Parts: sequence; C-alpha cells; structure tokens
Amino acid sequence: MTATTTQTAEPSPAEGGDTSPDEPGAWQTFRRNGVGMTGAIMLVVAIIIALFAPLLAPYDPYESVRVAIDDIYQAPSAAHLLGTDDGGKDVLSALLYGTRVSLIVGFAAAAISLLIGGFIGLVAGYYGHALETVLMRITDFFLVIPALVLQIVIVAIVGQSLRNIIIVIGVLGWTTTARLVRSQTLTVKQRRFVMRARALGAGDAHIIRRHVFPLVLPLMLANTVLVISLAILSESTLAFIGLGDPTVISWGQMLNFAFTRGAVTAGAWWALFGPGLALLWVVLSATLFGTALEDVFNPRLQRHHLEPELPQARRARARAHNHADEPVSDALLSVRNLSVEFETALGAARAVDDVSFDLRRGESLGLVGESGSGKTTSVLALLRLLPPGGSVAAGQVTFDELDVLTLPASDLRALRWQRLAIVFQGAMNALNPVRTVESQIAEAVRLHDDGVSRKAAAERAGDLLASVGITRSRAAEYAHTYSGGMRQRAMIALALACDPDIVVADEPTTALDVMVQAQILELLASLARERGMGMIMVTHDLGVVAATCDRVAVMYGGTIAEEGPTAEVFASPQHPYTRLLLEAFPDIDHPDRALSSIPGAPPRLTNQPSGCRFHPRCPDAMDRCTTERPPPYELDDGRLAACFLHDPATVGSGGGSGDG
Amino acid sequence: MLPGDPAKSGVRDPRLDPASIAALEQRFGLDKPVFINTAEPFDTQFVAYWRELARGNLGTSYEFRNASVASLVSRALTNTLWLILAAEVLAIVLGTALGLVAAWRRRTKIDAGALLFALLMWSLPTFFLGIVLLFVGSTWFGLPTGGRLTVGADYATWGAYFADLGRHLLLPTLTFTLALLAQYMLIMRSTVMEVFNEDYILTAKAKGLSTFQVITRHALRNAMLPMATLIALNLGFVVSGAIEVETVFSLPGLGLLTVDAVNARDYPVLQGAFLLLAISVVVANFAADVVYGWLDPRVGEA
Repeated sequence: MTATTTQTAEPSPAEGGDTSPDEPGAWQTFRRNGVGMTGAIMLVVAIIIALFAPLLAPYDPYESVRVAIDDIYQAPSAAHLLGTDDGGKDVLSALLYGTRVSLIVGFAAAAISLLIGGFIGLVAGYYGHALETVLMRITDFFLVIPALVLQIVIVAIVGQSLRNIIIVIGVLGWTTTARLVRSQTLTVKQRRFVMRARALGAGDAHIIRRHVFPLVLPLMLANTVLVISLAILSESTLAFIGLGDPTVISWGQMLNFAFTRGAVTAGAWWALFGPGLALLWVVLSATLFGTALEDVFNPRLQRHHLEPELPQARRARARAHNHADEPVSDALLSVRNLSVEFETALGAARAVDDVSFDLRRGESLGLVGESGSGKTTSVLALLRLLPPGGSVAAGQVTFDELDVLTLPASDLRALRWQRLAIVFQGAMNALNPVRTVESQIAEAVRLHDDGVSRKAAAERAGDLLASVGITRSRAAEYAHTYSGGMRQRAMIALALACDPDIVVADEPTTALDVMVQAQILELLASLARERGMGMIMVTHDLGVVAATCDRVAVMYGGTIAEEGPTAEVFASPQHPYTRLLLEAFPDIDHPDRALSSIPGAPPRLTNQPSGCRFHPRCPDAMDRCTTERPPPYELDDGRLAACFLHDPATVGSGGGSGDG
Repeated sequence: MLPGDPAKSGVRDPRLDPASIAALEQRFGLDKPVFINTAEPFDTQFVAYWRELARGNLGTSYEFRNASVASLVSRALTNTLWLILAAEVLAIVLGTALGLVAAWRRRTKIDAGALLFALLMWSLPTFFLGIVLLFVGSTWFGLPTGGRLTVGADYATWGAYFADLGRHLLLPTLTFTLALLAQYMLIMRSTVMEVFNEDYILTAKAKGLSTFQVITRHALRNAMLPMATLIALNLGFVVSGAIEVETVFSLPGLGLLTVDAVNARDYPVLQGAFLLLAISVVVANFAADVVYGWLDPRVGEA
C-alpha cells in the first residue's frame, strides 16, 4: 500500500532479466528451508530402502513358512527386531518390502494423474471459453464426489491387481492438478512475452511448449509431491479395507491383517504401529517436501498489519540541530528527527531519515516527492501504523503535548481517527468489502463516542455521506457497488466521522480520472476549511499542493529537501531538487516552456548514496556533498533548505541557486 | 451392468431346481430385459428401477434377504450424519481458531507448533490414527473397541444409554475431528495472513479499533469466505474419512455399509448408498453456495 513496500519488493524471478545477482536461486532458498530438507532426506531414505529391500531385510516375507502357534505376534526380540505378525512372519522384513509397493503406487499413479490433470488444466486455461467451462465443471464434479467410494467400487469390479489399483487411483486423482495448472496457465497467458509471442504469430503448440509449460512446471512441483502422497494414502486405505493386491505385501494390507486378526486384543502394537508409522514416514516426508517447495516457488506473504509492533529501536532524543530544538510554540503536531527503518532481506532499509516538520491548527501541509521518497511512511508513523516490518528508529512525534511514540495502546487508539484521521489511497481496498459503507462510518462514530446510539450513528453516517455528495439511499450499500470517485468520497466521509483535528490525505486521487480528481480535492479542501481541520496532503502532484496547501515539504530519498510556504517555494525554489522538480512540471501560465526531466533515478532504500541523498543527480553537486549530509539551513523568509549552497560559511562563494 | 451378479451366482448353485431359479429371477425382476424391450418399451429393469425409486423403494438387499435397501441405507445414513456433523463442527471451530491464532502470531513458537501439528495430522492416514486411538483408548482407558452400543446391554435409564453411546462415539469423533482439522487449520492460516495484509485492515486499525475488534469485526468474515468454499469442496474427502473411521470402529454407518456391500457384491445396497451420497453432495454444495452468498455481498451482483 505504501511506496516503500513496493520499492523493497523483490522482482519476480519468473520475468527474468533484471534479477540481481545477490538474489538467491530456488535451490539456495530450498536448502535453507529446514522443513524441506528434512522431508527430502526422509524421502531419499525411503527410496533407498525400497531399492535395497532384499539386501536390508533379515527374512524374505514372500517365502512361505510353516507357522507354529507360538510364532504368531511374537514381541520384538533379537531375532525379530519388530516382532512377528499374525502369520508368524518378521514385521521388519515385510515393512522394508512394503516400501516398494507404496512408492511404486505413489509414483506411477501420480504420473497418470499429472498427465491427465496437466493436459486438462493446460487446455482449459489456454483455450478458455466454452471448452474451459465444460472441463472445469467436470473437474469440479470429480473433486466433490468421494474418490474413495469410487475407488472401492471400481477396484472391486475390475479386480484387485496392483496394476488396476494404480490405474484407478491415477485416473481418479487428477482434479487438484487440473485446477492448479489451469489457474497458472491463465496467469502466464497474460504475461507480456506470451502476448508478444502470440502477436508475432507463434502457433499455440509452440507457445504452450516454449512459453507456458516451462513457467507452469515449477509450480506443479509442489503439487506433484502432494499427488504422490495422496496416491500412497489411497493405496494403503484400499488395502486396509481389504481391497489391496493380495499377492504383494503392502503396509495397508499388513494393517488390515493385524487389525482384523486380533492384534489389538493381543496387544501386538508392533504389528500395528510398524506399518502405520512407515506410512506416516513416507507421507510426512512428501508433505514436508511439498510444503517447502510451495514456499520456494510460490512464496506466501511473510507479514501482516496485525503483527505486534516492533520495539522502537532507539528512542533517541532529537539530535541538536539549528532547527530541531525550536519547537514551534503553536504547533498542534510536531515531528522531530523522525527516522523509520524496514527489515529487508538485505538488511535494514532507512525509508525515512531525520525528518522534522510542524503543523499548526487549521494549517495545511503538502508532502511531495517521488515514489519511495518516504512521504507515506512518514505520515503512517505519526499514528504508529507503519507497514509490517517497519519501526521508528529515532525521533519524536508530539501531538497536542502527547508523546505519540510512547503512548500506551489504549491512549493511542483514542487518538487515532478522533484526533487524526487518514484518507487512504486506493479506496477500493481501504473499505471492507463485506460490510456496508454506512456501518463502517457508524462504527468509527460509536467507537469514539459511547453515548451515540446505533440509530444516531447510522444517521450521522448518512449525513456525512450526504456532505460528500452520496445520497442516503446508497449509504447502506457495499463498496463494490460504488464508482471509484464515490469510494474515495466515502473514504473522506469516513475520515470526517469523528471531526478530527487533522486529516491526512495519502494520494487521495491517484486512481481517479482528472475530472473526479479536481472534485475530490476541492471537496476535501473546502471541508477542511469549514471544519477548521489541519490537513497533510501526501502527493507526487505539485499541482495538488499548489491548489490546496499553505506550506509544502519536498521529500527526497527519505529526507526533507526543502520546506516553506507553498507560494514562495514554488516561486523561488532554494534546493536544486525542488528546482528540477518544478521544471519537470507543466506550468499553465507558461505553456510554451520546455519541460525537462531529472537525469538518473531515485535511490534504492537499501543502497542510499553517502552524503547528500541527491548528489548523484544534482547539477550543483560539490565535493563535500558526496561525504557530508547537509543540515536544513534556515533562510531569511522562514524557509528551510537542506543544501550546502546555503551554508552560511560558504554562501556567496558557491554556485547560484536557480531563482525560478 | 455390473459383473459378479450375485443372483446369477446364486442361480448357479446346483442344489436349486429350475422352478426356484425362475421364482428367484422373477422376484428380483431379472427375467425382464435390462434396457430395451421392443414389445413393451416400459417393461425393462431400468424403467422398473426408476419407477420403484420414485416410490421410495430402493430394492431388496441380496445379503440381508428380507431387509429393504431403503431401511438399511436410511438407518446407516443417520449414524453417519451424526458422526460427520459432530466431527465437522468440531474440526471447523478448532481448525479456524488454531489457524487464526497461528496466522496472528506468525513466526512464533505457537505458529510453528500449530503448523507442525497440522502437517502431522494431515500426513497420518485416518484409519491408522483411528487404530492408534483405539489401541490406546481400549488398552489404557477401557473404552470399547467398536460398535455403536454395547451388544446386549440393557439400559435402566436414558442417562445410561447416552453414556454408553458417548463412550462408543468418543474415539471415532475424535479421530475424525483430528483428520479433518489439519486442512481447515492450514487454509485458515494462509487466508487470515492474506486478509490481515489487506488495506481495509489498516483502515480498521487506523480507526482506533483494538486488535480483537479488528479481527472479529473486519477480518473474520472475509477470512471465512475461502473456508466456506473449502468445506463444500471437502465433502468428498469427508465421506472417504467416514468410511475409514466407520471401518476401524465398526460403526454401522453408510461407510461400513458400502464396504460390506462391496465385499458381498450386494449391488442394490451399493446403488442405494451411492444414490444417497450423490444427493448429499449436491445438497451440501447448494448449502455452501447459499452460505457463501450470505457471507459475501459481492456474489450474485457481479
């Protein structure tokens, strides 16, 4: 949701091309996965046992022996390490041989399932339309009917040979594969290079073979392991019910014999637990292996919003600055030397570095900058709403004399929304899809004012929605029935629910078309003015700031480059970055002026340049800029610019700052 | 249609005289053509099957000569339904709760423990889990090894009856619950993790709701959506599990009836059981669709 998280997100390896060399490959990732390695080793052990069963087994379980009554269910001893079974045979030997049957059935049946499922999934996903509908209906049907019942009946009819069992399990086990392959094919089909290949006239067979299949294959890997384990489970279940191949020794059959022939009453735990634990060994190995493969090829989300807050690394007191120690006396909100860090795979990334600003009651401040400049992160830190993995490394946030960063949880919750509310960007996802818009607003009203009845809260929600131009008849609807502009307006109504002192608007109009953008901004600004609310407008759009903000802070690479009254900053930028930014922005008063772009790219959070963050792109960079961080210099008109061009010690000797 | 026709094999018994064979064939309607009868198009075995089905007659069991399939199957269904219902409810409640806690406390010992437990339960064959519990329960806790009630017991009171029933159903229900729980827990865990990362959760948090309120008011319902789908899709797996549990604990349910019918080639019973399973799957899927529509307002309007 924030610029920072998108910046730190790793590139998709499947797209290829720009994968950085320090990014670990699939094998390296897997090797570090303890669970996966355990599973893989367990599986290898099982395969080795299956291959060398005749060498390892002390007895030949297929050899018929004369059984004396005393031989039955002998407890484990030196001669029979795992005792004997109902037929007086060595349990351990039978177990070792049983590995073969389990693995043969597992691999062979899985091969059949994967072929059928893979084919159906590829065809359904690639060709789509009616064919897809029909194939997926069939798949769903086979998915819900109990496979075991069909297996039982078919095996009973066609006969209980190992070959038949393999075919039946294989033919009935393709559904999960088909569903998975279909959905993967659908995504891959929409990848750019596949579309390109199609546009270039490549044949379907070629595209499937060369482009789709190689990308779907790794994702099938985890599923393959799962299908194998399910086939092994199916075989053992059939054998346990008495429908195994009577001519081979399998674990399910051993359990069947032991269970139906009095092992429980005889207390012969070895005859039951031996084959059962062997089954568990093989299936668990496949499960662990498969889970790890899934993690490697289809990584799940690692973090979420409800994780416990990270401990504040260091509540450093504001470092002495010529700026920091002068709190503006009438400031409602005061941010001092705020630094925010994120945990990433490549170490801590400093998204916000030593940022200070103030907001007076009723004042509006614009935070402008490119994506990744730390503006969203800065405002989320105000309410301790940092994205998972982020924490305040240093600094202080004071809201109406409350030290926000050390506030107890209950006081913090009372502060949230009632004193400071946020209009989030991308209101589609910021509203809960399964609750009505009205109820979400009423919830905020009642949460911060116990005295309000349910009815009154709903009434107030209706009023708020009406004030942003949404008719009452639509208040009780869900967000998905609203247009993009309506959702954003509903979000504004939600932010106003508790009459906050400050409302933060985080890119409130990014996803909207220009006409709606103007409406929303005007609405927000006029409502803020009417209610005497302070406002922080987070945006990359200089036009928005010019239209709505009293003051502006320009951010670059997690730092504030320049701060001051909007009109003056725009008229005569004092930081080279602000100047270049303004030159890159079309000016309605000078439509004939040539637009320029800033050479280079914004810094990566994990690899910030030394000294001044902007020096690699700065036309006015001096030697000291590469090593020293420029502090914010206070200029005559109450403005701040973090640039050595304004160092009083050298001023006059340095190059001129562009006066717009 | 199906091989190994027991009436036919019964007919081959040399002790039967031709008159008895004819009587048998007539009783089971086997003297009529199976599908096509040019003279009397409706006088076939196939039509007779549907006609009788419409009257609620599922035929007569081959194995228990005097029991109607309808009565055998419906008695078995009741037992199975109670087992499935109890285990499903327990598994859904416990699996959801465990998955929720694991996701919320991600990367802690609680999460790792819950995950390991779920993977272990998922890998344990249901019938083996049943055997283990049965072995332990009967050896150390004196619980019965099978059946629904103690054979030949006389109950002085209803209380005694239910106590006996409970003692018999405790282990099968526990086995079944553990077998089903793993999947629910794993799905819930990954769904909750995704939901917890949604923007509306951040909104809810920003509004000043406590974590508990965010979960109960905003996360839970969204997280239950994939669960509702899974529960419906899982029905085939549930029925398979019921067969295993009933086999291990000799519970007279639909599963055990099916297995016995297969072993005895008792096709009328098998057909009846099949029909009932098909109907239950359809009904359960319909119910799941209704529940999903109620949980997710976006369904049906898109």
